[in-house]
Amino acid sequence: MTKLLEWVFGVSVIGAAWALVTFDLLNLRLPVAYKEVAWPMPVYLLVVFGCYSLATVGYRVATFNDCEEASKELQDQIKEAKEDLRKKGLKM
Amino acid sequence: MATGTDRAVGMGLVGFSLLLFTYYTIWVIILPFVDSDHVVHQYFLPREYSVILPGIAALILLLCVGTFIGVVTRKNRKPKVD
Repeated sequence: MTKLLEWVFGVSVIGAAWALVTFDLLNLRLPVAYKEVAWPMPVYLLVVFGCYSLATVGYRVATFNDCEEASKELQDQIKEAKEDLRKKGLKM
Repeated sequence: MATGTDRAVGMGLVGFSLLLFTYYTIWVIILPFVDSDHVVHQYFLPREYSVILPGIAALILLLCVGTFIGVVTRKNRKPKVD
């Protein structure tokens, strides 16, 4: 079974369970509170995923370390390359 | 360590997403189990808005992305490309 088929299968199982609770397809007569929680679930999961992505990006922006030596080394190499090309006749 | 503004922006994003997560989780998951005459209900909109507002936000996001792509494409079009 391919990965795509696995995902489609998993999503449809979860989707069927959600539809069962939201639209009361089996006439289970669940308490009202459970139906109230179930029907926004797809949107809720999307919002939670969005929050998690935002938090991860924000945290990694905040903790990314500046690399002073690597930056200086890179600047020197750029200067060197420019000099070299200028000698060979390339106009900058 | 990352520079000052980087840290501020990053931690701001983390804080904002935590706030949003907490408010939305209470709204969607906790409120249905709270008695309807409890005072906490007045801090939350009716339940329909918990689906409508993210839907509108998604539409606005798509609009922004589409507009940006349109503007950049038009700006980079060489003269007489048709």
